[in-house]
Amino acid sequence: MTATTTTTTRDTGSTAPPSHGGRRRAPLPVLLLVGLGVLVATVLVTVTIGPADLAVGEVARSIATHVGLDVVPVSPLHDAIVWDLRLPRVLTAAAVGAGLALAGAVMQSLTRNPLADPYLLGLSSGASLGAVAVLVVGVAVLLPVAAFAGAMAALVATLALARSNGTLTPGRAVLAGLAVSQLAAAGTSFVIFWTATGDSYREILSWLLGSLAGATWASVAIAGIAVLVVGSVVVLAGQRLDAFAFGDTAAAALGIDVDRTRWALMTLVALLTGAMVAVSGAIGFVGLVLPHAVGALTGPAHRRLLPVAALAGAVFLVWADTLARTVFDPRELPVGIVTALIGVPVFAVLLRRGRGSAWT
Amino acid sequence: MDVTLAGVGTRLGGRWVVDGVDATPPPGRLTGLLGPNGAGKSTLLRLVAGLLAPERGAVLVGDQPVASMARRGRARRIALLEQESSSSVPLTVREVVALGRIPYRSLWGSDAGDEAVDRALVAADATHLADRPWSTLSGGERQRVHVARALAQEPEVLLLDEPTNHLDVSAQLSLLAFVRDLGTTTVAALHDLNLAAAFCEHVVVLSAGRLAAAGHPREVLRPALLREVYGVDADVLEHPRTGRPVIAFHEPAPAAAVPAPVSAGEP
Repeated sequence: MTATTTTTTRDTGSTAPPSHGGRRRAPLPVLLLVGLGVLVATVLVTVTIGPADLAVGEVARSIATHVGLDVVPVSPLHDAIVWDLRLPRVLTAAAVGAGLALAGAVMQSLTRNPLADPYLLGLSSGASLGAVAVLVVGVAVLLPVAAFAGAMAALVATLALARSNGTLTPGRAVLAGLAVSQLAAAGTSFVIFWTATGDSYREILSWLLGSLAGATWASVAIAGIAVLVVGSVVVLAGQRLDAFAFGDTAAAALGIDVDRTRWALMTLVALLTGAMVAVSGAIGFVGLVLPHAVGALTGPAHRRLLPVAALAGAVFLVWADTLARTVFDPRELPVGIVTALIGVPVFAVLLRRGRGSAWT
Repeated sequence: MDVTLAGVGTRLGGRWVVDGVDATPPPGRLTGLLGPNGAGKSTLLRLVAGLLAPERGAVLVGDQPVASMARRGRARRIALLEQESSSSVPLTVREVVALGRIPYRSLWGSDAGDEAVDRALVAADATHLADRPWSTLSGGERQRVHVARALAQEPEVLLLDEPTNHLDVSAQLSLLAFVRDLGTTTVAALHDLNLAAAFCEHVVVLSAGRLAAAGHPREVLRPALLREVYGVDADVLEHPRTGRPVIAFHEPAPAAAVPAPVSAGEP
């Protein structure tokens, strides 16, 4: 054991002060409370923003009236603006933002690829194909239903292709997703090229870029339920995601059923993404950037990362959408343009700082 | 804990990578798993860990076949450390060691502070590293933390795949002395025959998936076996202090029967 002592002494002696690991991380409940507070404030404030001037108090009273509290009601016009127009849109943005951030974080872990995003498995292309087919060809189904069906068809094709010779490895899943994605994109281009006329172009473009302009209470329900259900499962499964840190064999040696866990989580994430795409089109960069930005705050353990990323994604997308609908008022930008304009510089900063030795 | 390999064999890509291996690593001791590259060492360790199911024979821990154990139960009894690969894991040392507790947590259980993590850090002499980010550790420190992660599993059987790779000589010696003195049944795949001779109570030598020899290093590591299995010419001396075997290799003679791949690989 002499050798042990020698080594220990040497190691201790040469220990440089940790560059960033000694940093204290805020306790999870604090992060969650702060995040939740910011989200509530964001919702209340952003609902007041727009062509008709409203006060936060009016927003709160309108909401209170609708949930059955006994408060002084606001004028019917303002009530309609809050309850029928802006609130559904803001809440949809929050749910979609949370869902995209969760889906991105889970995909990045499952594929051990920091560039993974929720649309990795061909989901957005499949959904767009479904949506465009409805818009242009006039297939008689509701647009969200068609988008969801397209996303699921793409997922099934991707997983079947990735799985064709046995196990589902991250690399194969990504490559299969790429192939399915290209095929669906070609299909979308074909449909547009062949049939689109006049106004349908703009509608299609807004789908392809992502937009919350059509949000209704039905969208809130679809996106909200998907986020709450899938979100709770993946957050609870967080430590299984942690087990993948050193690869599949290490996870298996820790008693994880690697293949089944990966299948289950990928399918859940795909369902979640399908629901998001169905209500808002494919909004880029939220799922890619948010997990990295939040990871710098929470550390990489998924139990901490996932819930905080969901809250941050919600706040981020609500503000991005508020910008999208107000900056060039009365014209609207697709929110995907705003998220890219904000997301790319943030990503560049994270990349320069080299956060995540994971990127070396 | 008694580990028994009874005629274990499995194919990968149609070839018998491990073929009818019998072995009984002594309980509570360090066993060296030896053999040239491609002899089947890593595959055998995966079979013992239950990550591969044997097509022939069985691996028993106690008297229970590993292949029939439930996943999580198995992970509480057997820990496997792979060859060091990833350096880009964004976890701190304590978080890495805590991964070893996953088999003990309920499916969706909490990851509240766990004394076993502290015990494992102490046992592996890695407490001073606890708050360091994984990416800042030296190779020797990483192996030590990997061992701590395995110890956090509180295993009855510890399996190590080339644990001394990429370590300097002092780190190699201290790591093997440390696992030898754990008192846990340990099987380590090793390339360095002198390390195996110095630290192992028992060695198992594989050649092309088959068992070539097994026993105490003094009886197994003989010039004839080294020539047969590794294709090298060597003398076996006695260590002046410990009396254990020390292997002195010779330069290959020009006409020596070197294994074909070596010369075939040259331009």
